[in-house]
Amino acid sequence: MNPFEKIFNYQLMSRLEDSGTFMVTGNERSWLKAMLQHSEAVQAFAPGTLAKLESLLEQDSLMETAGPLIQKAASKELQVYHPLLRQLRRSIMHRNQIKLSYMIKNGRQHEHQSGVPYKLEYSMVKKEWYLLWYHQRHRSLMSTKLQTILAIQDMPCEPERYIQLTASIEALLAKRSTSAVIQVVETYNAELSRILYAFSCFEKAVSYDDQLKSYTIKLTFLNNEAEYVLSKIRFLGKRIKVTQGDYLQRRMREASSLALARYGATPEREKGAVTATGMNTEAQAKAGADIVPE
Amino acid sequence: MAKESFDKEIQFLRMLVLTSGAYSRQQFADRLGISIHTFDKTIKKLKEIVNAVYQQLPEEQGKEFAETVRYSYFDSADHMLLFLFRAKSLKETESKRISLLLEALQSGRTLTAMELMDACCGNMPAELAPPDEKTVRSDLKYLEEVGVIRKEPGPRPYRYRLANELVQELTEEELLDLYDFADVMANTHVPSVQGYMLRDSLKKHLQRTQEDTVTLDAFLYKYHFYSRLLDEAHLFSLLAAIRERRKVKFLYFSPKKETSYASRNTNPLFERDTTGKEEVAIPIKVVYDHQYGRWYLLGFHSGKGIVKYRMEGMTQIQEGEAVPQEQFEQHLAQLEARTARSWLIDTGRTVTVRARFFHPVGAPQNFIKERVQLQGQWGRITEEDGADSFLYEIEVNGTFEIRPWLRSFGSSCEVLEPLHLRKEMIDEWKEIADYYEPV
Repeated sequence: MNPFEKIFNYQLMSRLEDSGTFMVTGNERSWLKAMLQHSEAVQAFAPGTLAKLESLLEQDSLMETAGPLIQKAASKELQVYHPLLRQLRRSIMHRNQIKLSYMIKNGRQHEHQSGVPYKLEYSMVKKEWYLLWYHQRHRSLMSTKLQTILAIQDMPCEPERYIQLTASIEALLAKRSTSAVIQVVETYNAELSRILYAFSCFEKAVSYDDQLKSYTIKLTFLNNEAEYVLSKIRFLGKRIKVTQGDYLQRRMREASSLALARYGATPEREKGAVTATGMNTEAQAKAGADIVPE
Repeated sequence: MAKESFDKEIQFLRMLVLTSGAYSRQQFADRLGISIHTFDKTIKKLKEIVNAVYQQLPEEQGKEFAETVRYSYFDSADHMLLFLFRAKSLKETESKRISLLLEALQSGRTLTAMELMDACCGNMPAELAPPDEKTVRSDLKYLEEVGVIRKEPGPRPYRYRLANELVQELTEEELLDLYDFADVMANTHVPSVQGYMLRDSLKKHLQRTQEDTVTLDAFLYKYHFYSRLLDEAHLFSLLAAIRERRKVKFLYFSPKKETSYASRNTNPLFERDTTGKEEVAIPIKVVYDHQYGRWYLLGFHSGKGIVKYRMEGMTQIQEGEAVPQEQFEQHLAQLEARTARSWLIDTGRTVTVRARFFHPVGAPQNFIKERVQLQGQWGRITEEDGADSFLYEIEVNGTFEIRPWLRSFGSSCEVLEPLHLRKEMIDEWKEIADYYEPV
């Protein structure tokens, strides 16, 4: 079936919405049936629901995609669902506060920390779930891997209080927002599509100078995402250049000189100034220091 | 009637999403190879759809369309491009008629064709002509085919009911879990367009039944290539052609035409129709590339052998004649052998790439190794050199596609072999170093 079937027409959809009619096509059920075969589907439902769904979909065909459809360069799928998602999504839905106990990196634990959960975030890169929450005592935004959570306790929250806390979250998010300007090096304008696809997972605005035939991309991201932005910039290499954003520029400068030190090479301009036949100890100590976790 | 094609809308949205506001109306129209008039008409139609679907954009608001589809992470729960799939045109009378038929079957009612006909005629607005029996019967046949209604078992006259057991049989709590499941799977798996549609319908249903104060959208997906959805428009016709071993004919716009690009100063992605090239090929595999969020079609061309096309460049796709099973199997085996070692889709000569990865300095966690294990595909860690570094080795077809990934590790990765790749890396780092030299 074609995804552009007339049954999906927008006027029809909006009429059905007005009359409160729920409509689902065989195609959507075939998709669902295929997805329910995923080994982690069982974690998405209360006991018994999965079997109920399977029997409701018994007459439907199974959407077949494996075989002709292949996927490349994906991260290994470590986790799609997490057993805590159902509980936490309900805490968020009912605008509750929580008390959270979780492990931190050095093996220690934080216990009974009060906070407000506001989103559950899945990293498509690391294939793991995180809880985004506001730490009330520290007044800071937290991102905690669900894998490290030891216990959660739901606490009702007064609506007025919840509104205040949400405002604090928004203010902090706005404060953490940062931006950088990236220019497409003109020689690589022909690769614009590749470059824009690579950045299509960020909030961005592109501008084009008709006279100079030059494209610039302004990326907006939270400051703790700079590492991922940097890995994308290194990924695209010489096709692009950071023209605004001191931190990113400094990091790219470091990355290139440290990488060259690894190879026992020096930047073009410094040739002759230093004869690097291998990495000196100082460079060795620094190399790799340009990379911090994304 | 010619089959309605959405190529124009897809190209339009892709350009809008990727270049988000870079071009003026004229530049935009030029790059798409359409007139300003067509540009305005397309925008108008897309706006109308967005308004009808999301009911949130009064025209007076004067909000730019580009703004509407601009990606905003904390506001990304509803897929902003899904409305494309609502674009099929339908006459006013038809959309009214079908919605009346479905409304009449609400709340588990079962009705015969004649009863449905009465319900439909009785509620049709005066300005629209009431339908005849033949039309209603053909609507019912269509609705049954797409699985929206079912015939009840039993003697004639047949009774029909809505195929909405999902909302009838599941409790509120179960529906919420189902909504989340559709959301998670549509965002993390391909294909996803049906998942987003199901999610959309469930969301509307939950909004009708839940209290106003609840927050339905709880999930975010970090670094999601949401524009991948646009190419799913062609996915199903290509998969069907592969299944039936049919050739496909299409007009192809190669996204990389450096020479023609340089001489004409237009974006190659969006060249005029006349520069497209007619292609005929046997489709064999569809590839989704997670690195860029792009789709490819791999196939066999009688003159060129194995061919690769970017799906974004394919327009006016038509099915052609079927090829014998034996021939198809032969091409399939050949293609599988040639792509078994492709980082993405490169069918170049197989080389062994060896690289040394260095552990992060002073970090509590070895995230470099974790990332190599997560993303290094079939490559192996062959040697661990104490606490400092490890060796990674992989056989790949050509080095072009793996290079960006290796480079993304910065100075934590040193390419050892092949030597030409090592040299290319050094040269590229030198160029990059030049970009950031203090002036």
